[in-house]
Amino acid sequence: MSNLEKIQKDFLDILLAGDTDKAVALAKETLDSGTAPTEFFEACIAPSLAEIGKRFETLDIFLPEMVTAAEVVQQVNDDVITPAVESSQSEGITSAGKVIMATVQGDLHDIGKNMVVLMLKVNGFEVIDLGTNVSPSEIVERAESESANIIGMSSLLTTCLPYMKDVFDYLEGKNTRDQYKVIMGGAATTPEFSEEMGANGYGHSAAEAVALCQKIMA
Amino acid sequence: MRTRGRLHSVLDKAETGPIVEEREFDIEYIQKPIQALVKKYDVKWDKDLFLTDDDDLADRVYQAGYELALNTGVYCTSTKRRMVWTKAELDEVIATSPSSVIMGEGDDLAHIQARRPDEDSRVAVCGGAYGIPVPENLFVPVMLSYAQEPLLDFIDNCSLVSTYGRPIRAGSPWESVACWQEVDLSFAVVNRAGRPGLAIGCAENSPTHIGEISSNSIGGFRPSDWHHAALVSELKTNYDQLIKVAHFARTGSHIHTFANNIYGGYPGGADGMAVALVASLILLQATYFGCTVNPGPTHANLSCDTYPAMLPGIGVALQGLNRNTNLMTTAFARTWGGPGTKNILYEAGALALVGVTSGIALMEGVQSAVGVQTAHCTGLEARFTAQVTHAAEKLTRKEAVPIVKALTEKYQDAMAGGDKPIGKPFDQLYDVDKVVPLPEWQGIYDEVCQEFETEFGLKL
Repeated sequence: MSNLEKIQKDFLDILLAGDTDKAVALAKETLDSGTAPTEFFEACIAPSLAEIGKRFETLDIFLPEMVTAAEVVQQVNDDVITPAVESSQSEGITSAGKVIMATVQGDLHDIGKNMVVLMLKVNGFEVIDLGTNVSPSEIVERAESESANIIGMSSLLTTCLPYMKDVFDYLEGKNTRDQYKVIMGGAATTPEFSEEMGANGYGHSAAEAVALCQKIMA
Repeated sequence: MRTRGRLHSVLDKAETGPIVEEREFDIEYIQKPIQALVKKYDVKWDKDLFLTDDDDLADRVYQAGYELALNTGVYCTSTKRRMVWTKAELDEVIATSPSSVIMGEGDDLAHIQARRPDEDSRVAVCGGAYGIPVPENLFVPVMLSYAQEPLLDFIDNCSLVSTYGRPIRAGSPWESVACWQEVDLSFAVVNRAGRPGLAIGCAENSPTHIGEISSNSIGGFRPSDWHHAALVSELKTNYDQLIKVAHFARTGSHIHTFANNIYGGYPGGADGMAVALVASLILLQATYFGCTVNPGPTHANLSCDTYPAMLPGIGVALQGLNRNTNLMTTAFARTWGGPGTKNILYEAGALALVGVTSGIALMEGVQSAVGVQTAHCTGLEARFTAQVTHAAEKLTRKEAVPIVKALTEKYQDAMAGGDKPIGKPFDQLYDVDKVVPLPEWQGIYDEVCQEFETEFGLKL
């Protein structure tokens, strides 16, 4: 096991314990010993977050642990990685892609969507979370103004599915359908509905949504 | 007068409570306090047990949930305010909650009575498709398959895929149209079943307040039917729900309230979920002052509530509530398996055994294949659930433990991955004209009934 592999293992344990101070100290110590910030991100942070995502997928850990791990990583980024990148003038951490996420009009359920948002963030995506009960026009307008790569929609209620169709109609009407990949999920949606709408993908779980976005951006 | 005063107090809380960002509510008022309460009250059990019978543990879970309800309250997403109750107010809510209710009309009355764990009194049963989407042409035969079952004390409707061929848009006029169509079709069902006074769980096409309050009026659903209001996970309400409740309060309608705490979500695992379930039911009663209250937790990935690790959490929360309050609690089978499979029967049976021995007043189900597969619902799984419910009335928690364990062993592998056992839609399992099960589905049902008798000594 290389030194960075061992550090990654320790970093994962620290994330699971939710210990911000130790995580920041380990990151600082590793960078002080000559590791580049981007190398630390790719060799330690990214695989640790991927492992946490995997464990959440099987519910070996739960949302609170994942939320805490994301908060710890945010602190490590703010306190160590970002300042180091800025001072070294080296290439920064690149976003895996920009995703607009929304629970569609008429639906106020947000926990499933929040899990997807969190999982995408910990996997390096930039996510614009529009919240719940979002109108089709707002989804399309924000995708345009944010120059998003992906539009993600969620619905728990079958009576909100027509609003998903409206998003496709708006995109077609504006002749911008080709500019975005559109994905969907939530209890009311199915792979068949996704295909019928002409979506670019369907995810049953937060982990599937991440895999889908990674495939789209590859 | 009391209801009006309580309603005004609730609405005041939604407009005067402290303003909090929703994200802060999720973390600071749900996630962190639950983690702390699990430790403070030592909420844990042997992971190999699928049903506990530890009264002290049940009381600790109740105390933890009560404390969460008191310190967290309910978040109103419409006003961004945290609705909070004083200890005196919560205690009054609990002390004055109804312990019995009579649903329905005429010769078709259903009596629901609060119970305690290990009590051998009768449990009421509501069978139905619980919002499962069904094509318009199948609504009557599907719902008739429930209404004709004599063991079902009342029914709960399916949803419509469309209304008069048009999509049903939440919050649009079509929601009202769909709910009125649901009224017409529902009355056709109960009349054809010869049970015109049967209480109907409704309106299942009303995601906002529009459908419910328009169809709960002259010529529509009756106050004696079973009207729904819910907390959105975790511990959140909104104006749509509060508008419904204002209408129910004025019309004197029976209110069924429910919450879907997420297993694996902000409450964490089954221990935190149990604490959240108790808090949810106390706060459902405080916010909506209904008659029946349901903790219908949802697995974060599978969306069912029959996942083996969830069962002890559901059981212990129900035991805590039923030992310390007179709330008419319910258990609701939302199964991973669908009709036409053995899985659905094993799962519904396990949940009924957990719920009944833990003291529920009402058994509900089955929301087959977690309610998302079109027309995957039949009256036969509801009949089976009712049979297990009544058989379980004679059991204690201790006697039910090995049966629940054996049942989970029969279905847990199907939840571990691979193809979901969704079964088949109604028209492939029932003769649609005669509304009787086809031989294949009848045979599976007969076989599982026989298994219950030979393996567990339960004659259904």
